[in-house]
Amino acid sequence: MDLLEFARGPALQVSLAIFVFGVIWRLLGLLLLPWRKDHSAPRGTAPYAVVAVLQANLRKMWPHKTFVKATVFQFVNGYVMHVGLAIVVLLFAPHILFIKSLFGVTWPALPSNVVYAVGAITLFSLIAGLLHRLTSPVLQLISRTDDYISWLVTLLPVATGLLAIIQVGARYETLLALHILSICLFFIWFPFGKLMHAFTFVLSRGATGVRFKHRGAEL
Amino acid sequence: MTARVTASGAPYEVQGEMSEKDRLSHAMRTFLREFGASAAIHMESCVRCGMCANACHFFITMQDPKYTPIYKLRPFEQAYQRHFGPFAPIYRLFGLTPNVTIEELEEWQRFLYDSCNMCGRCTLACPMGIDIAELVKEARHGMYAAGLVPDRLELMDRTTKKWGSPATPPEDFADIVNEAAEKYGVKINVDLPKADILVTVAPAELTEHTKALADIAKILNRMGVSWTYSSDGFEASNIGFINGDVELQEKMTRKIIDRAIEIGARTLLLPECGHAYGAARWESARWYGKQPPIRILHMMEFLAESINSGAISVKPIGSTASFHDPCQVVRRGGLKEQPRDVLRALGFEIKELADHGPLAFCCGGGGGVVSCARADPLRNRAFEIKRRQVEDAGAERFVTGCGQCRITLTMGAKHAKWDKKTESLLELVADNLEGE
Amino acid sequence: MAETRTLGELLVERGVSRRAFLKYSSYLATLMALPPSAAEAMAEGLAKARRQAVIWLSFQECTGCTESLTRAFSPTLEDLIFNFISLDYHHTLMAVSGEAAENARLQSMAENKGKYIVMVDGSVPMKDGGVYSTIAGRTNLETLRETAKDAFAVISVGTCAAFGGLPHADPNPTGAVAIQDIVKDKPVINIPGCPPIPDAMTGTVAHILSFGKLPELDDLKRPKAFFGETIHDRCYRRPFYQRGLFAKSFDDEGARKGWCLYEVGCKGPITYNACATLKWNGGVSFPIQSGHGCLGCSEPDFWDKGGFYRPLPTPLASVREHVTEAAAAGAVLGGAAAWLARSSQNAYKSETKKSEEA
Repeated sequence: MDLLEFARGPALQVSLAIFVFGVIWRLLGLLLLPWRKDHSAPRGTAPYAVVAVLQANLRKMWPHKTFVKATVFQFVNGYVMHVGLAIVVLLFAPHILFIKSLFGVTWPALPSNVVYAVGAITLFSLIAGLLHRLTSPVLQLISRTDDYISWLVTLLPVATGLLAIIQVGARYETLLALHILSICLFFIWFPFGKLMHAFTFVLSRGATGVRFKHRGAEL
Repeated sequence: MTARVTASGAPYEVQGEMSEKDRLSHAMRTFLREFGASAAIHMESCVRCGMCANACHFFITMQDPKYTPIYKLRPFEQAYQRHFGPFAPIYRLFGLTPNVTIEELEEWQRFLYDSCNMCGRCTLACPMGIDIAELVKEARHGMYAAGLVPDRLELMDRTTKKWGSPATPPEDFADIVNEAAEKYGVKINVDLPKADILVTVAPAELTEHTKALADIAKILNRMGVSWTYSSDGFEASNIGFINGDVELQEKMTRKIIDRAIEIGARTLLLPECGHAYGAARWESARWYGKQPPIRILHMMEFLAESINSGAISVKPIGSTASFHDPCQVVRRGGLKEQPRDVLRALGFEIKELADHGPLAFCCGGGGGVVSCARADPLRNRAFEIKRRQVEDAGAERFVTGCGQCRITLTMGAKHAKWDKKTESLLELVADNLEGE
Repeated sequence: MAETRTLGELLVERGVSRRAFLKYSSYLATLMALPPSAAEAMAEGLAKARRQAVIWLSFQECTGCTESLTRAFSPTLEDLIFNFISLDYHHTLMAVSGEAAENARLQSMAENKGKYIVMVDGSVPMKDGGVYSTIAGRTNLETLRETAKDAFAVISVGTCAAFGGLPHADPNPTGAVAIQDIVKDKPVINIPGCPPIPDAMTGTVAHILSFGKLPELDDLKRPKAFFGETIHDRCYRRPFYQRGLFAKSFDDEGARKGWCLYEVGCKGPITYNACATLKWNGGVSFPIQSGHGCLGCSEPDFWDKGGFYRPLPTPLASVREHVTEAAAAGAVLGGAAAWLARSSQNAYKSETKKSEEA
């Protein structure tokens, strides 16, 4: 079995299984904890949990005006990274084929050259994010190993993907294997570090949204 | 009661005679008792973006990363990860999360008490929607159980346990009220056996702001409603809500609500106070397992309602005014429009501070910070933000709806040799009732 | 019988001019991506070369490799080159000769000891003592070992000989293995392909004849001249790949427009061969040009890469079956963790209550 077969075979199988296993463990382990019900009289008309969750999630997508100046780089760079990643993952033809093989659904792809450019931009925004983390006194105080590992396992697929399409450093099948293995690594780490924010952000924003809407307060 | 210093030079105070081992044990178990699903979700969600720092007036003025709001929660979060989270058994088994130490808690006293007002501005900045202020409040429960609260907050706790109020024994209450009635020439009801409205007070109203007692009496009398104060249930500010003494918080809340129900009141009127609102309006139902059968109103709410419904009218006194939004009532309480309705009825043109309403900066005194002399230098530095915003707004008058804010802002002004007076919304209404 | 004339003398005898001979040598040199100066060296080498003894063994094969070779489209000189190789033994071509053919083989081995080339097509079965393929009553394994013993080099022609090919594919009931798995002490050249491109075979042999040594090989022992680049890198449909224009199925719009066949399973990106440049049938076409994705037939285990129509960026194994189990396991552990947390919380609450009542 060569490296590419290993990557496409047992490596993907195991890592996807670990991903599902870990995500469900962590989510259920949270959702099944005791929920404190707020019995106080809500302000205005209730109930509205779904609306509150939605509104909070939308509101938190952009900072309040007074915070913009101090946080705009992070917000914008964060979006460039996340949107770039989404475009590369979801709108690149080979990736759509991968998703189709898992879920049976497919959709049109962007021209591959466009995706290459987006991938390069995503790579730069990842590096910019790291540089920011390394140079900010606040972030240096609160950062932990998880932040760096999560960054690395996100960077590697982007970097190896770009290497695979420009075919630099090794033979194509090796680069492809490394790219797939880097995705396996991403899936394995995902449930155990801060990448879980992909799931928890909705819940966290939502919980505060419900609390605030109950009080008639703006988030 | 001893002031100590940690190995790194951080000051802290310790209450009681417990051993360090017991302190830690109490703190950890109280933390454990507090964790629920939403706290857990919040603590899983921090992505270490640091944006919360930009919202906190302590960080903004001092630029010290240690005032980053989420950093204030570190031991609390550590306890969560080690004992309550989905991977907690694994973390413990493989030693991936170390146990919280007593030194850590001692180190963190100043972050949880001196440099946090629980104002919640950080909650509005967090892109993950983590309610940091709420979590700080819960962390304080563990700190209290460990005896790791600043001296003054412990002192107020003790007197409250003894007297039912931080500074006033119950037998003195009626006297103070009657003195105010005489001084201001207003009839004040005390200890009526039955009434529709039970009025409560904050400690300052029994000391430096006694006029407030007469002010509300004047308004209620003008409205012709049935109301009373009660020596057996007057204290609304709730030190337990602030310092983390959950048992006392419950006791204090029940006292005023039970008393209100006892006298057949349908409304509990809270004074111009911030934490009183949080404790009574939002957290009282926790003790009863349901919403108590009584309407809980903040003074600002009551004033706005009464004016809007026409129960009372005020004279327009013109001119311009800026309003300081008390954190617990506006940002975390939802009463943004009410004080503005009152000011507009008084004919003021409102010159909003650059950060107003839900985004207003805290006065710097909430959460017991104004009571900790140790925190004065920090508080005075944070005050500079408020001062600059008031001056930039350029209004003639500066008004607020919380007595503690008023005291904090006055103290800050005095320290900064600034001559701006901070006024009470209640007083403005009472002094300008139509038909006088 | 050993031939004593050199190739140069043979060509002169048949009326081939030196000019034509040089032309052919440059063609060969270019084919193998050798520098221009090599053409002359090749010509000189070939002119001086003596008739090379070649023993051709056929094992578990379909004879496609031999067919490909004999169908070689080439300038007329190639035939001469081929004739110049003394094909002293070819199992398939000499099948009717029986015992006589076997003797010819043994005689050639003795007369050309250390100098003859063994060319093999087909894999060797190992299971059950190798009984699943025998010639003249002897297993392929025995024949190979015996024949390779005094050879100069062994050339594995076709993917079956080079890597095991079809017989080796899952479940490999006969225990088929590649030639290089058996021959360990002689230089081995692999010329894979199913079948290989004819020029790959003849060019390699010509190189050996001209220079007396093996051509440059990659790490799978394939001549780099023919197997140094992927189909993908030389495919004329590459611009469509780059732009993201793919045929989604055979005979859809994309297919008819000649777009990239990546999505219908083309293995071009990971297949090293010369199909995209040399093409087949004298340069007429190759699979992709004819509208079918590359099968990857010059790579090891190409039968077991998930299927010819399974595109490259897909998992080889089924992911779904394990995911349900994983989800269930996660749910159990998540529930257990929450239960543990709740119990310790309740335990503390009842402890507190007890101490309050006490």
